[in-house]
Amino acid sequence: MTDTLIEVQNLEVTFEIGRRGLFSGAAKKLRAVDDVSFDIKHGETVGLVGESGSGKTTVGRAILRALEPSGGRVLYHGETGDLDLAHARKDEIAKVRGKLQMVFREGGLDLATLGGAALRAFRPRMSLVFQDPYSSLNPRMTVRDIIAEPLVAAGLMTDRKQIDARVREIAARCKLNLEHLRRFPHAFSGGQRQRICIARALVARPDFVVCDESVSALDVSIQAEIINLLKDLQEEMGVSFLFIAHDLSVVAQISHRVAVMYVGKFVEYAPTEALFFNPRHPYTHALLTAVPQADPDIEFRPERLEGEIPNPAAAPPGCRFHTRCRFARPKCSAEEPQWRQVAPEHYVACHFVDEMDFSRTIA
Amino acid sequence: MVCAMRPTHTGKAGDAMMLRVENLSVSFRTDEGMITPVEGVQFGLDAGRTLGIVGESGSGKSVSTKALMRLLPNSARLSANTRMTFVDKRGETIEIEKLRPGSRALRRLRGGEIGMIFQEPMASFSPVYTIGNQIMETIRLHRGLKGAKARELAVETLSKVGISNPSARIDQYPHELSGGMRQRCMIALALSAEPRLLIADEPTTALDVTIQAQVLDLMHDLQRELGMAMIFITHDLGVIAQIAQDVAVMYLGTIVEQGPVRDVLQTPAHPYTRDLIAAIPRLDRLEHRLHTVPGEIPSPSARPTGCSFRTRCSDAIDGLCATKTPPVTDLGGGRMVRCHRHYPERTAT
Ligand SMILES: Nc1ncnc2c1ncn2[C@@H]1O[C@H](COP(=O)(O)OP(=O)(O)OP(=O)(O)O)[C@@H](O)[C@H]1O
Ligand SMILES: Nc1ncnc2c1ncn2[C@@H]1O[C@H](COP(=O)(O)OP(=O)(O)O)[C@@H](O)[C@H]1O
Ligand code: SF4
Ligand code: SF4
Ligand SMILES: [Mg+2]
Ligand SMILES: [Mg+2]
Repeated sequence: MTDTLIEVQNLEVTFEIGRRGLFSGAAKKLRAVDDVSFDIKHGETVGLVGESGSGKTTVGRAILRALEPSGGRVLYHGETGDLDLAHARKDEIAKVRGKLQMVFREGGLDLATLGGAALRAFRPRMSLVFQDPYSSLNPRMTVRDIIAEPLVAAGLMTDRKQIDARVREIAARCKLNLEHLRRFPHAFSGGQRQRICIARALVARPDFVVCDESVSALDVSIQAEIINLLKDLQEEMGVSFLFIAHDLSVVAQISHRVAVMYVGKFVEYAPTEALFFNPRHPYTHALLTAVPQADPDIEFRPERLEGEIPNPAAAPPGCRFHTRCRFARPKCSAEEPQWRQVAPEHYVACHFVDEMDFSRTIA
Repeated sequence: MVCAMRPTHTGKAGDAMMLRVENLSVSFRTDEGMITPVEGVQFGLDAGRTLGIVGESGSGKSVSTKALMRLLPNSARLSANTRMTFVDKRGETIEIEKLRPGSRALRRLRGGEIGMIFQEPMASFSPVYTIGNQIMETIRLHRGLKGAKARELAVETLSKVGISNPSARIDQYPHELSGGMRQRCMIALALSAEPRLLIADEPTTALDVTIQAQVLDLMHDLQRELGMAMIFITHDLGVIAQIAQDVAVMYLGTIVEQGPVRDVLQTPAHPYTRDLIAAIPRLDRLEHRLHTVPGEIPSPSARPTGCSFRTRCSDAIDGLCATKTPPVTDLGGGRMVRCHRHYPERTAT
């Protein structure tokens, strides 16, 4: 067995939008994820950052087959052998469900960040989204039943006593009170609800968990607790995380490697230190300058990105970042840059990566 | 109670502050009886300056600032000694706590003198009117301009907040805009009344860092241009460091520490401020275990006796912190802290 757990190869996800639009019949296609390749090791946390709408959630859900990819492969090297999740049959997926889990930002879908058109495209699908096996806390179930669900659903345990014991064990680990197990989720604070989600995701001793904006809505002190908890659980259980967040400092703290997404594509993937201290892609660099530091003596000079983030339904040709890149040249709008390795484990998609000099003053 | 807070580097000595809040306490009638989630808050603010307010969820940030605009629900009560004075555009002093609900003076205060922007932009906009209609209505109400004049001003305000092609955008509905654009339109809506004071409650928390940076930039510029004062509520100390000159740290309904941003962030005096700063993940320090504040924030209906932070404080003094409420200590340089650890220093001098 290699030390790679998940290998994503040329992943592609396409949504059909505006089916009942002006041009009836011809459904418009939105490629939310386009030709994404990367891997995740056993016991590793991979961070995924990028602006809202860039496709982070879609990557996470496609890997777990919570939605259907339209292309590419997702190789899962589990204990019971290798499986291409993107092409596996429903019954094969059902067997590994307990091993592949997801933790949402409590509160469900963040509709506020979807634009108008995207929101309209989304509404009819909402019920579907909430029904999928990874949806957030069901208000009518007790916390005990919520946490136990992955064990029951995957048929991993049938004995009630055994299930109770495992639920109590993981709940205690996630600092939930045993008293809490009999209650319903609405009675909990944001931090506690997040711990319930984590307990549920980890109860079946999974190999891989997608954490989508799991700490974004929390206060810093509670956020710090949850991050420490995830780190401890990873050490104990050897689980791998795909940690999606738009807060770069949080991602820096928890991840071993970090990927940056822009309009459906990865633009950079590197070990955390390299990505934050030696970014090679102009977009990564721009993102980093936009993070305000809690020290008034650290100069804050965010690089201005001109214009709006492009709509993935009308992605710019060539390099997708060329409409906002201060280094763009004619080649950038004509040709798509290759995804290539520039240092050990450091990948970048930019034509001019070798001549980048970010110290050049911003015009 | 001592020392209403006065930032050091204010204008001429003796001139009245634009906003002064003293002994602000707010109670709510609830099923479980009375709770007092805001108690004895005081601060002052001068024109052209920004006060940041930080604190955990439920610490009373929104309730205190809503009290300033008298936006609290009917179940809320201000204590009898609450004083909130505001010097308006005409130089007259308004006693906010005395304004009658529904009065003209209160309507003029809201929007016209004090503007507010919320975390969720949809809260300020009605979905059934265009962005332009809503901005023009504000302009009519607070600046007395109508028709083409109002429209012209609305377009100008939109372009000021960085909306490209404002003369077309003005006729769009709120849901037709992206989150970042809506946020900027909401700022335009608040600014179109030219308020003297802008209260921003987590205005950038839901935004991407890139758009947050644009919005912060914009608010900086507009403040410089209009001389407006701001109260900026956020749980992000990075944002505070960049936008505010003074900061107030709230815990369980009281301000536990206050002062110039640089001093408070670099040499925090209160144990809670220290914990909070240590808990922030930083970009320049990786691979290090995050500090946490021990225990959980108590509910306002079960506020601890003595110092409200003592159940989580690693510095608590036996026999003192659990029984006596710490007084406010003036540390000089515009700083104040509410902690027994600092109290003796004051009596010594
Ligand atoms: N209408 C109300 N009735 C009863 N209690 C209320 C009411 N509004 C607020 N509270 C209570 O007052 C306290 C302070 O609330 P507030 O909204 O000011 O917190 P906050 O500091 O703004 O928190 P956040 O960061 O979550 O916005 C909380 O305990 C809250 O539950
Ligand atoms: N079910 C769906 N139907 C149509 N479009 C969708 C759907 N889900 C996501 N999208 C679109 O795909 C793009 C990527 O979305 P998402 O993965 O949620 O981004 P992120 O998580 O990075 O904010 C966006 O343009 C979004 O509007
Ligand atoms: S390929 Fe061109 S446009 Fe794209 S990031 Fe590199 S320099 Fe900028
Ligand atoms: S008064 Fe006592 S308990 Fe409160 S913060 Fe100071 S040392 Fe800690
Ligand atoms: Mg998302
Ligand atoms: Mg609030």
